[in-house]
Amino acid sequence: MFNKKNLTAAVVVSASAALAGCDQFFQDASDREVDITQMSPEELAEHLVLETDSYRMDQEVQEGGTGRERMQQDEVQALCSLEGSPDSETAGQVVAAARASYERPDGGVELGDWRRGAELARSGYGYRVGHNNDDHGTREPGANCYACHQMDPAETTYGTIGPSLANYGRERGTDESVLNYVHEVVSNPHQYFPCTYMPRFGRNFLTEEQISHVMAYLLDPDSPVNQ
Amino acid sequence: MAVGVAGTAAQAEWQDPNDVLQKLLEAQPDSKYLHQSEMNIMMMPDNPALWLLDDGERLFYEERGPNNASLESCDFGKGEGVLDGAYVELPRYFEDTGKVMDFEMRLVHCMKEIQGFTDDDSAVSQRHGSGSDIMRLTTYIAHQSSGYAWNPPLDHPKEKAMRDAGEVLFFRRGGAMDFNCAACHGSSGKQIRASVLPEMRNSQEWTKAVSWPAHRAGQDNVRSQNHRIRGCVWQMRHAGILPDTPVNTALISYWNDAARGEPAILPDLKR
Repeated sequence: MFNKKNLTAAVVVSASAALAGCDQFFQDASDREVDITQMSPEELAEHLVLETDSYRMDQEVQEGGTGRERMQQDEVQALCSLEGSPDSETAGQVVAAARASYERPDGGVELGDWRRGAELARSGYGYRVGHNNDDHGTREPGANCYACHQMDPAETTYGTIGPSLANYGRERGTDESVLNYVHEVVSNPHQYFPCTYMPRFGRNFLTEEQISHVMAYLLDPDSPVNQ
Repeated sequence: MAVGVAGTAAQAEWQDPNDVLQKLLEAQPDSKYLHQSEMNIMMMPDNPALWLLDDGERLFYEERGPNNASLESCDFGKGEGVLDGAYVELPRYFEDTGKVMDFEMRLVHCMKEIQGFTDDDSAVSQRHGSGSDIMRLTTYIAHQSSGYAWNPPLDHPKEKAMRDAGEVLFFRRGGAMDFNCAACHGSSGKQIRASVLPEMRNSQEWTKAVSWPAHRAGQDNVRSQNHRIRGCVWQMRHAGILPDTPVNTALISYWNDAARGEPAILPDLKR
């Protein structure tokens, strides 16, 4: 029963095509209702998400656009909608898609202010919508690193979904290859870790300036992360 | 009681929620999730959620609403007014509506159809908080299933379809941070900040995870399964989810199925 699900982009496309015009099912029991027992689980899931008014689809979201765009998957999201690790073919597709969309900042990667990075690493504010909306006009969105990673060894509340990053910079230094690699991982980690749970912070989430501060917190020899 | 928790057949006997919890703790001595809050375990016999039971019972039997009717003729799936074991056998397909409904959807349906409340009445519009009619009724009704094993029916093809779609939804990545439910509930013993997370494939962790209503100590309010979904979706940076909608129903179908066979803690106490 609990087989690995590998929801490919192709399945998503065919599901949306097959379901066009079938959005009345859950609103009434008219003759026009679609038979949900005739859909594959993947088709029904797409139908439920996109066609049943289960979400505030028209609500504006902080990065621009609406809730609907939040719920429409891009290639990486569709490829990574699976349990466990991707197979090698899927992993290859994810890495290729991630590399294709990555952009190194103009003028190269530089470290910002680790003190600003420390604030960003601790802040879980930003981009939440629905019954309660984060207002980026009053408070900037954070990077929320501590939700998943240990960083400053003196900080006691940290998550363990991601690996510990304590002393990350002390072990690696700050030469150009390290800066480029860390930027690539923070901006789009699927280039190295296909289907990781780490968000793509370069994808309409953090500014390049914010990323430079977070990177400084991670790599600057003076940062508490490296003491 | 001699009945063990691990691997037993579906139970159909009421048990005190604290007894259910104690047996789970004994069965899973190494579960960081189940053992994470000594304070809450200690407080369980005095769970503040129990304070809602009397009000919930009164609301259930009182003749209320424009139709001046009680909820005794509401069918939660086991017959009109039958509450024993009903909560753990939801979501299920209902002939009268032609669709699979989760508990809250069914309760609201009855309050509207039987009692005549409309969306404008706070009795149904206010879904959250210990002071709401919905949470008082939910706590009372769910309590009648405490200790019963989760057993949502999958006999009707629509029940199966919704459960299977719920599994796909659990793993569906989306939103501004690419998260799915499994990002937090795919492995055991992981933490977000200080919170230890339940693993969905560990049915003994998962039965506690889905055992809402529960008093959330950090919010000082009794919360529902639907409130948990709304909070997770909000934190995942998906679009805002709406009440009484089929995505909720499909996810709860999957949740409750993933806890199948394990007794429910109703109501529970969480951090």
